[in-house]
Amino acid sequence: MAIIEVKNLVKKYKISEKENGILGYIKHLFHPKYKEQIAVNNISFNIEKGELVGYIGENGAGKSTTIKMLTGLLTPTSGQVVVNGIVPNEKRILNNKQIGAVFGQKTQLWWDLPVIESFKLIKKMYEIPDEDYKNNLKKFTKILDLKDLLDKQVKNLSLGQKMRCEIAATFLHNPKVVYLDEPTIGLDILVKENIRKFIKDINKEQHTTVILTTHDLKDIEEVCDRIILIDKGTIIYDGEKEVFKNKYGKHIIAEFIIQNKNSNITVETIEEEFEIIEENETSIKIKFNHERLTIIDIVKSISKYCEILDMHIQEEGLEEILKEIYRGELIND
Amino acid sequence: MIRNIKLYFSFLVASLKRMMEYRVDCLVGMVSQIAFQIIELVFIWIIFQHTDNIAGWNFEQLLLLYGIMMLSISITDLLFDSTYDIGKRLIRKGKFDTILLRPVHPLISVLGESETSTALGYMILSIVLIVSMLIKLHISITVLLIIKILYFGILGGFIIGGIQTIFSIAGFWTYKSNEVVWSVFQLHKLAEYPIEIYNRFIRILITIILPFAFASYYPAVDYLEIEQNYIIYIVPLITIIIWIIAVSVWNWALKKYRSTGN
Repeated sequence: MAIIEVKNLVKKYKISEKENGILGYIKHLFHPKYKEQIAVNNISFNIEKGELVGYIGENGAGKSTTIKMLTGLLTPTSGQVVVNGIVPNEKRILNNKQIGAVFGQKTQLWWDLPVIESFKLIKKMYEIPDEDYKNNLKKFTKILDLKDLLDKQVKNLSLGQKMRCEIAATFLHNPKVVYLDEPTIGLDILVKENIRKFIKDINKEQHTTVILTTHDLKDIEEVCDRIILIDKGTIIYDGEKEVFKNKYGKHIIAEFIIQNKNSNITVETIEEEFEIIEENETSIKIKFNHERLTIIDIVKSISKYCEILDMHIQEEGLEEILKEIYRGELIND
Repeated sequence: MIRNIKLYFSFLVASLKRMMEYRVDCLVGMVSQIAFQIIELVFIWIIFQHTDNIAGWNFEQLLLLYGIMMLSISITDLLFDSTYDIGKRLIRKGKFDTILLRPVHPLISVLGESETSTALGYMILSIVLIVSMLIKLHISITVLLIIKILYFGILGGFIIGGIQTIFSIAGFWTYKSNEVVWSVFQLHKLAEYPIEIYNRFIRILITIILPFAFASYYPAVDYLEIEQNYIIYIVPLITIIIWIIAVSVWNWALKKYRSTGN
């Protein structure tokens, strides 16, 4: 049985419509007008225990609204959410015991207290058995390198240090499901890598189900096996990450090092099959659809204009694919 | 329930630890509150320069009444101070979501954040006032009386804290909830004087609608043995009723809050 079951989930917000100016404001006070806005429009998915899922979409696509409904922070307008047999919205406190969540920059730690004091309070709140607490603390301290941070007040920590503590706090009670909303925002590469490794390690060990939303697609590339892509409140892709890349990643980017160019390729007529991204005297960067053209075709057509010295080929990454989807260049079929 | 109460005290201890981090702030808050209260006492003294009693209450009796209210307020401040500005402090800033994600009733989390340096100032001043007035009035300070004063002081603190908690739900809709709570809270000043001086409307207001009088006037009447009054026995009942209402309106507000989002 799936650990998270989402069925026909809908969330509509009422948005007040105000006319401009003070007069409009006063009018609104007596005759409020509301407009309905659908943030999440009839989505369904199942997530199995131990899955690492990247939940992605543009700003305003409905990501946060979905996460809020999954955690029980928000009541759905219609549809159903069941997390490990519990409806989060009805049995909120029971559900809170089995989940963990990080919401961007909002901290669950006590700002003015040493980190370890926050951990102790969390231990009490979640009734973590002594044994588990000790083991986890030891393990997390090692992986996330918290040794020197535990006695410091949260307010004195840097962003990266704070997030490491935050992540540790979230996993302290061995949650079954963890929601991470932008956990790496604003962090430097080393801390990001540290956190990604931690998530993967704990997932392997505890089979913790993790749902990750992020704008840094590197997080998804490295951590997640599955992608759910949401756009304008509806799911437009749900499946394995690799399948996603194969399906939409139809382009290859090739960079050629060249010399003795006889004319500018961009100006000359060239088939619309490929796109020149960059061109100068010594190099040229080309993006092409590998289903219609081969690299040999490209080499043939370029060599008319110049001498090719070297080349690099690169598959399109998640980020480029998503950019194309958001721009509407890839039609969902 | 017991788990929640235990957690409440754990949170409260954390808040007190946090408060100790800011010793200077703590001291400033305490001293300024004492100064503020002394000014109010001066006003009462000035009134008594022109009259020797208010509705049959003399200066010392009135100060005793004042001290009893202050003791209740100090308990309110110590235990329930943090609900009044949730609109500004938690909900507007989105911090409330992290509180909703804890496996504890949100009210426990919020109440547990109480940290107020004024409580200590109030408490010291109220004890000084109560003890000195009891001596002046030749009321013998028995063990029973001390227990009574503490018992009704704590219940009084719960009554005022409960009233504050009920109105704090304004914070779910407006970030100016502190002003709503503050204006209701200020009505406790009416109960710093004997209710005989008021008309029917105000009497009903401070005994039935917002029962502040049970945190000051009725216990004072009992200590002063002005008349046999049995009404004092319903104070625990009133406390319980107020808190049942407070928890219910909070649950209702939470439900509303979660269906609209912010």
